Amino acid sequence: MISLSDVSARGGSPMTPAMGLFALLLLTAPFWLEPIGLYQYLGIEIAIWILFALGFNLLFGYIGLHSFGHGAYLGIGAYAFGLFQQEVAVSLWGGLAVAILAATIAGAIVGGFVSHRRGIYFALMTIAFGQVFWFAAIKLHSITGGEDGLLGIPRPDLVLGPFEFDISKNGTLYWFVAIILLISILALWRLVNAPFGRVLQAIRQNETRARFIGYNVWLIKWLTFTVSAAFAGLAGGLFAMAQESAYPDVMSLHQSGLIVMMVLVGGGLVSFWGPVLGVLLYFIARDIIGGFTETWLLWFGLMFMIMVMVRPEGLSGLIHVVRQRFAQAPQNSITPADTPEGA
Amino acid sequence: MMELVPHIINGLTLGLLFALIALGFTLIVGVMEVINLAHGSLFALGAYFGLATIGGDWFGSTGLGAWWLSLPIGMRYVSAIIIGPLLAAGAGMIIEICLRPTYGKVPLYGLLLTFGAALVVEEVIRLVWGTGEQNLTVPQAINGAFLMGGLIFSKYKFFAAGFAMVAIGAVWFFLERTPYGAIIKAGSHDSEMVRALGYDLSKLRLLVFGFGASIAGLAGIILSPIWGLRPHVGLDVVIPAFLIIVIGGVGSFWGAVLAALLVGMSVGITGAYAPAWSMMSMYLLLIAVVGVRSRGLLGHKSALEN
Amino acid sequence: MSKSNLTRRALLGSAAVAGGLSAFAGPWKHNRVWAQATDKPIKIGITSDASGQYANSGASDRRGMMMAIAEANDRGGVLGRKIETMHIDTETTPATGSRVAERLIAREECGFLIGAVSSGVANAISQVAQRNGVIYFNTNSSSPTESGKNCHRVKFVWDGNGTNFAKAAIRNSMSSYGEKVLLLTNDYVWGHDTARATRALVDQYGGEVVDEILVPQGTRDFSAALLKIQQINPDVVAAAIGGDDQIALRQQVAQLGIGSKPAWVNNQQDWPDVYGLPMDNLFGVFGTTWYYGLDLPGVKEFVARYQAMYSDTSMRVPGNVFYNGYMATRELLNAIERADSTNNIAIIKQLEGHMMSAEDRMQHHAAQIDPNTHQVQQSIYLATANDEPRDENDMFKILTQSDPKDVRDEGSLEACKLESYEDTPTFDA
Repeated sequence: MISLSDVSARGGSPMTPAMGLFALLLLTAPFWLEPIGLYQYLGIEIAIWILFALGFNLLFGYIGLHSFGHGAYLGIGAYAFGLFQQEVAVSLWGGLAVAILAATIAGAIVGGFVSHRRGIYFALMTIAFGQVFWFAAIKLHSITGGEDGLLGIPRPDLVLGPFEFDISKNGTLYWFVAIILLISILALWRLVNAPFGRVLQAIRQNETRARFIGYNVWLIKWLTFTVSAAFAGLAGGLFAMAQESAYPDVMSLHQSGLIVMMVLVGGGLVSFWGPVLGVLLYFIARDIIGGFTETWLLWFGLMFMIMVMVRPEGLSGLIHVVRQRFAQAPQNSITPADTPEGA
Repeated sequence: MMELVPHIINGLTLGLLFALIALGFTLIVGVMEVINLAHGSLFALGAYFGLATIGGDWFGSTGLGAWWLSLPIGMRYVSAIIIGPLLAAGAGMIIEICLRPTYGKVPLYGLLLTFGAALVVEEVIRLVWGTGEQNLTVPQAINGAFLMGGLIFSKYKFFAAGFAMVAIGAVWFFLERTPYGAIIKAGSHDSEMVRALGYDLSKLRLLVFGFGASIAGLAGIILSPIWGLRPHVGLDVVIPAFLIIVIGGVGSFWGAVLAALLVGMSVGITGAYAPAWSMMSMYLLLIAVVGVRSRGLLGHKSALEN
Repeated sequence: MSKSNLTRRALLGSAAVAGGLSAFAGPWKHNRVWAQATDKPIKIGITSDASGQYANSGASDRRGMMMAIAEANDRGGVLGRKIETMHIDTETTPATGSRVAERLIAREECGFLIGAVSSGVANAISQVAQRNGVIYFNTNSSSPTESGKNCHRVKFVWDGNGTNFAKAAIRNSMSSYGEKVLLLTNDYVWGHDTARATRALVDQYGGEVVDEILVPQGTRDFSAALLKIQQINPDVVAAAIGGDDQIALRQQVAQLGIGSKPAWVNNQQDWPDVYGLPMDNLFGVFGTTWYYGLDLPGVKEFVARYQAMYSDTSMRVPGNVFYNGYMATRELLNAIERADSTNNIAIIKQLEGHMMSAEDRMQHHAAQIDPNTHQVQQSIYLATANDEPRDENDMFKILTQSDPKDVRDEGSLEACKLESYEDTPTFDA
């Protein structure tokens, strides 16, 4: 079995072929999405969920804390963004900053409760806290709009120094989301390939040993939880813009389960790029199968079960195995999997 | 003060029902170290199998079906209580077989597999029984209401609570007083040793999962006349079961029962005095308990934390 | 698709007036060319729930739309064009509703969207629809906010709302049963809106609200609330409990046998939620917009058409959800014919204020699409469980019918601010 630790330390230069391919796909997407039968809004949503999934994988794949309530922080980010626009000021940067801040604070508090937990206990606790937030979002309807959601959230103009851009249309919003995603991905890449990233993996592999070496394991776990929540908050802020509203549903156990499903199917446990693959597969499969049949969840659920049974390393693991088998053949895989040579 | 009495009684019956919901869940978590997210789906499946038994769906519109429907409802109900959980156990065993490749790996895989299974079971129910609300008929003897202290109570509710008590006792007896229970418990502590002693561990796991699933299915049959029966009814079950396990302490039998009673009381009493908060009270109870005792009321250190 | 939106605000300002319409024409340019060819089908996107809490009602809603469309196609289509549909499951989840609406508009090029049961999903869809100028028919979501605070120029609401039903029910039950009213309210937006309307009516008719019990959404055990109701002992319980909660409440009230004393007023009872359940599950009085047993011309034929088209459906007669889906779709197609165009603004103008005769609606009174709230003002019926059913389908006994003007929701008129025509993007479907 392979794991994330097998990813060779590259010394931190993010200029890998996979990164190049990803950036290329991301930045050319508006030109080929429609010809291949997809649509611009789907592109925005996929980009946002990739951001969410990558931040989540810091916790899930790298440090090995299996949170099952991460949708809560996405939701908190979305509500914070919307409330800021409606109650304080219509401002893009202000809204996103508040979204990140709110999710960070929530993550820090919950992280304080759960960071000394491990394994299934940790999962149970995150589910329970996720439920608390979800329930609160429905209950506090004078603030959140209850189950109707917070409606009419504007897509504010992008202000960069003296320049102002209108990003209210799907076409332009996509560019903004794509650039935010690209910056975040670079930051995350640096983070996991820095010594810090290796400490995360050390904790996942053997927490006791990491502690004896002298790392403050609790603090690092807490920090990772908080950072991961912060990325979820950013994604949530963007999601509120995309949807022009914030709904409690994204905070439910079901939705939190789906993000875990996406990350795992893609291979978040074995590759930095796993979550990207998982999100792409989920959204595209759902869009295509969903157009044909109403029972698409049955087929997706079955596919997922088989995946967990035969190849829990996910798509990235599969690609890795295939590439190893054809190690001699020229590497012409077009999938942005960044699995190591010779694990 | 006298006004409070019926609410305390009500809270206790509610707590017993919650305990019945959590029972199969805690058994599987405690022994198998798997968080069975399909618990709610097995609950629903048991109830639907029970429904099919009472309605004689198995026989179609043959003469046998007509004969079956002519039998008294009490008899059909009792057979539903037996057949429903057995079939749910069968479904649970299929899930356990699917789970096998995940043993010895991160416990997360078990949780994920059962999440997938929950999606699949719910969709299958939708395909077979349709999306609409169904009604599980109960015998007249336990239906209807009775008067107590000038207030009307539901007979069925008390029947269900009594049934829950019996079920809790039976499971406890099985675990503590029979050799099977001893092996199961040993299996959760030291599976190597159990294997060395010549027990077939994989058969043991199959049985435990089937047992847990059958209790889930039983809870489904008992509770659906109160909660209603629809394909996504399982969602109503998983959340309280989770909260109860965390509050009670993972893997602790009496912890779960105690937590269920506490949750029932808090929901029942807030339901009388601050009803808007009755659902929230579960979560507040959770935060309070976990804030003070991070392993839950009766939880102890377990292998699950690794 | 225009990619040149990265313009400075200063430039935008001057260009805004000129560009207001043309900027949005972007995605629709190719449509306009197609629209000239009359053989291009009219595409309608169906946004009904096929999974989640409202899957069952969503299916009924969709059958109504499909029957209206099949009938129109049999007559040769609309404006000589065939009608095509595309359905995607909205999963009773607002976020899915947004995405489905985006896809149906952008990729499937649907010019119209129809369908909703859940108000959250309806709100999500209507925001996307308004941004694109696509006409959206909310067929079955009955939250008063739908045609109030969350109304839109492109959205039309076809169901009666909580206030309409409360108005029809409260006066009637207070005069029959007594003046001490207890409110049993689901603690969320629809519940609160409905309870507020009920409270105002109780005050207006000289009654007294003795207490309000708020029940959180997701409640499955009502025993605490039911005990408390017995302790307070009101004359009338006005319940605004929806969805799965209502089903649980119904079963528990039936088990206790307290469905007739006190008198229960249930806001609305959707046919797919009760069809096939035992009769004692139907308690108290409740509202509906239509019943298949109404003794009006056309109803029998309508039921016969339903049974012919859906011969293998377990629901043997159409209910209010089917009716709303059917009526809404038929009126949309009629409005397109009247406008003699598929221009969205022209169709909206045809719909606004449109009168529909009682015969056409198979109701007791004529109905009108309110030009200011876009909600259909229609007859509201009060019903109760039928103690003398003709057959197993005949579950309701209609008690009264109310004229639309007597049950009008004044609150939504105040709350609704429709976008101007100029702010609504225009296009030809």
